[in-house]
Amino acid sequence: MKRHLLLLFTLLAAASCMKYGPREEEQFAADLSHRGLFVLCEGNYMYGNASLTYYDPESKSAENEIFARSNAFPLGDVAQSMTIFDGLCWVVVNNSGVIFAIDPSTFREVRRITGFTSPRYIHFIDSHKAYVTQIWDPRIYIVDPSECRITGYIETGMDFETGSTEMMVQIGDYVYVNCWSYQNRILKIDTRTDSVTQQLVVGIQPSSLVKDCNDKLWTITDGGYEGSPYGYERATLVKIDAESFAIEKTFYFEFGKTPRGLATGDGGRTLYWINDGVYKMQAEDENLPAIPLVEPKGTIFYSLTIDPWNGDIYIGDAIDYTQNGVVMRYSAEGNLLDTFGAGINPGNFCWRAAQ
Amino acid sequence: MKTRRLASIIALFAAFLPLAGQEPWWNGDPSYVTQITESAVVAERPLGEIGQHRTSIDSAALQLTVSQSMADILTYNTSVFVKQYGRGSLATVSFRGTAASHTQVTWNGMKINSPMLGMTDFSMIPSYFTDKADMLHGSSSLAVTGGGLGGAVLLATDNAQKEGLELDAVAGYGSFGTFDGFLKVGYGTKRWHIRTRLAATSSENDFTYRNYNKKEYTYDDFGVPNGSYYPIDTNRCGSIRDLHLLQEAYYTTSGGDRLSLNAWWTRSIRGVPMLSVDYRPGNKYLNQQSENTLRTVTGWNHTGKGYILEAKAGWLHTKQAYDFSKDRGNGTMVSMVQSRSLINTIYGQAEGKWFPVKQLMINAQLAAYQHFVESSDRNAIKESDKVTIGYEQGRFETSAYLSAKWNATRRLGIAAALREELYGDKFSPIIPVINIDYLITNSLTAKVSGSRNFRYPSLNDLYFLPGGNPDLKPESGYSYDAGLFFSKSHEGRYSLDLSANWFDSYIDNWIVWIPTFKGYWTPRNVLRVHAYGIETRASGKLQISRDWQASGSANFAWTPSINHGDPKDWADEAIGKQLVYVPLFSGSSVASLAYSSWRLTWKWCWYSERYTTSDNDMATKIGRVLPYIMNDIVLEKRFALRYTGLSFKLAVNNIFNEEYESVLSRPMPGRNIEFFIEIIPDFNK
Repeated sequence: MKRHLLLLFTLLAAASCMKYGPREEEQFAADLSHRGLFVLCEGNYMYGNASLTYYDPESKSAENEIFARSNAFPLGDVAQSMTIFDGLCWVVVNNSGVIFAIDPSTFREVRRITGFTSPRYIHFIDSHKAYVTQIWDPRIYIVDPSECRITGYIETGMDFETGSTEMMVQIGDYVYVNCWSYQNRILKIDTRTDSVTQQLVVGIQPSSLVKDCNDKLWTITDGGYEGSPYGYERATLVKIDAESFAIEKTFYFEFGKTPRGLATGDGGRTLYWINDGVYKMQAEDENLPAIPLVEPKGTIFYSLTIDPWNGDIYIGDAIDYTQNGVVMRYSAEGNLLDTFGAGINPGNFCWRAAQ
Repeated sequence: MKTRRLASIIALFAAFLPLAGQEPWWNGDPSYVTQITESAVVAERPLGEIGQHRTSIDSAALQLTVSQSMADILTYNTSVFVKQYGRGSLATVSFRGTAASHTQVTWNGMKINSPMLGMTDFSMIPSYFTDKADMLHGSSSLAVTGGGLGGAVLLATDNAQKEGLELDAVAGYGSFGTFDGFLKVGYGTKRWHIRTRLAATSSENDFTYRNYNKKEYTYDDFGVPNGSYYPIDTNRCGSIRDLHLLQEAYYTTSGGDRLSLNAWWTRSIRGVPMLSVDYRPGNKYLNQQSENTLRTVTGWNHTGKGYILEAKAGWLHTKQAYDFSKDRGNGTMVSMVQSRSLINTIYGQAEGKWFPVKQLMINAQLAAYQHFVESSDRNAIKESDKVTIGYEQGRFETSAYLSAKWNATRRLGIAAALREELYGDKFSPIIPVINIDYLITNSLTAKVSGSRNFRYPSLNDLYFLPGGNPDLKPESGYSYDAGLFFSKSHEGRYSLDLSANWFDSYIDNWIVWIPTFKGYWTPRNVLRVHAYGIETRASGKLQISRDWQASGSANFAWTPSINHGDPKDWADEAIGKQLVYVPLFSGSSVASLAYSSWRLTWKWCWYSERYTTSDNDMATKIGRVLPYIMNDIVLEKRFALRYTGLSFKLAVNNIFNEEYESVLSRPMPGRNIEFFIEIIPDFNK
């Protein structure tokens, strides 16, 4: 009887063994002598499966999940954006409330800043000051990246429930910020005083912000959604004169369309965005283009970036949002060149220049 | 003073003792060894069970660990997939590779799936309130309700019709600051029976775990990193405060009519545990959901000569809240999300069973639900005091069912049924069901069935703001079953029940919520799914000697659930792959060994890997939920004292202290224990 019980216990114990545990650390050494592209793969909200893909345009090779493979722990929940400053790649992980700084070659974590509510983007003023935008929190956090600590806040006058700040563009001493979720404005922040000096109402939900070669600001407003108490209107592309902080021109999209992913190319002379297909327009054009440069052909384009050095167009495809996505590379003329695999929901990009 | 108060309580308690007129549950003998009875003879096969694939949860399983929810009970006693988002968190049940919203749940006949979400949170159903739990697999669920593309779980209280006073009190204390209290007080006469049950749980739920999703670094004297480790983290924001109260009243008239009233009130405040990849400090955030629910069902049953009539009416009222707040840093909390929902459902049902001849039953059933729902997010916009985002909707739902069940010969039983549903102003297609039983031997029965099935979208699917899609089509499909059921027993020696069932289902227009470019999610009819597989079950008892008895059950299921939808684009790798979070294999078993008043129970469950991506990516280092195996044990000892029965119980969960996740980035506790003491006064003495 004893022997049988022992055998039973051993069988059950063996049956209980699982492989959950530490991950292996992998060694990477990305070649920094030529440019590289990081693809921020959001993952699925509340899954904790955000990841980072690295693409080498020279060798045309991609490595997925480089953060997790290099550091032996996952990036977190919803990878939002990356900014390169002072030789480090700063990755903002929105729903984990953390910003990691990683080495651009080994992808190893070298710094970490915590204490955020829901960070979206980081913009560096200098090596001791950076701004971090948020949703669910109207304040823009001021951090000291060298010491990895929050040093202050920029009050924006919005409330916690609907206050949100998003992308940042700097022209001279001023940083411009679009306020996207349930908002309609662009903020102008004086970096010398860390305070909002002006606000400009542009339209419902400005989702992205870039500057062109003439230091004009461009934003796309998505127009909200049907049934939204905040309103529902036509999406727009808005050109703003930064100096006077006034709207210079508003281009209207067809009602119901959701343009997004505003990007610049050719040194800021050209604008690109996604509106089903990918559209291209010169910064001086007076009208929106009528036909897309790249047709979606059954694909839902998810994200967009332009190679600053050769004008190639990179388009993220999330497919069904729950599987690994792909990135399609098109020539500047809109011809498909090749594709490479990425993580789940490739939603943002960051270029690293050659050293 | 304290002594005097204690004496008063004892005196008050003693004053009730003369009222006693009921036998205690051990009949004077605290033994766990129970009588093994002979199987029912074939001639008494109930007509209502023709073609039905039903799994009944043993009452011993329901009572084994009263602190457990129905989610835990189903995990160890069936082969359904119970998806648990953490200890004391949302737990959903899905059959046969389908989704949680494809499992219909009734309580005393009333459907309790949320009309907003379409699903049921089984972590909120205490097993202490459940006397009967049955599962109807696949098309068998159509005998009760529509919409169960996977099946249905039927939960019910039971009129034990005990005369005299009954009292049962259980107190439990366990790991993670967990206190449980359960109380059952009842009084019955020949016609009346009134019973009140209370279940209260409080837990800090602050278990610690090795967090493999984070790393901390160690530094040398010069501040240079010289090592790293995975930290021991605490489950944050996961506290549980649940209170359930159940009032039952039963009355049997002199004419044999039975009347019943059940009212179940729930008050729950639970934290929503933070993900293991969340770096925000738990003490700076309030992430909490609360619920205030009242479910009432009243029923009438009349059994006449050759017919049975039944009518039920009910009301379901639920207020739910979700709050996400943050400490601004000065101790004041600022609200970021304040979601509120209010559901009122009025329910009515009438059913008749007519036996024109002994071997034929005609069954007609009509159930109606009127839902009123308000859903709002108070903080989305605060331009006025008025709630400005959300929806208010009502929907009338009716389901009519007509069946004929016929024992054509001693060996052959045939059943045919039709169900028709109305939701809002839309009708479902006619849903036909055909079932056939054939008795191969006195112990072995073959069952086959085929049906259409249909599930209409939930109110959130249609109207949630933002994202609701009023153009959604209902999910629909066909399902086929074939199985063998073996039952053999010998009174006083053994009993054995075995079953093996093959099923095959096709579901079109499967609804999935997907993100949009405006930052919210929206449901779409995106999948065509072929779910098929095998379910097996074995259960039995063995009388080893006069004082020794072994019993157990084991379940195993193989449930491929394959996406056969159209590819989204050329890169879509999800076609032909297993659905996300549906295990291909699942198994469970419970084994008990009783020696007189001692009993040791071993519980085991296993889920194979669940894919977290629709392309079933196995190369990923971050998205795998590895096979989940759990072992729990329960040791019990009963004592028969002069005036009371006493039971001590020690439950050890996760005895091998496994580190695991049931859902990605949701930590689960390691080994934990809970100790219970149960008192059942013997009012006969």
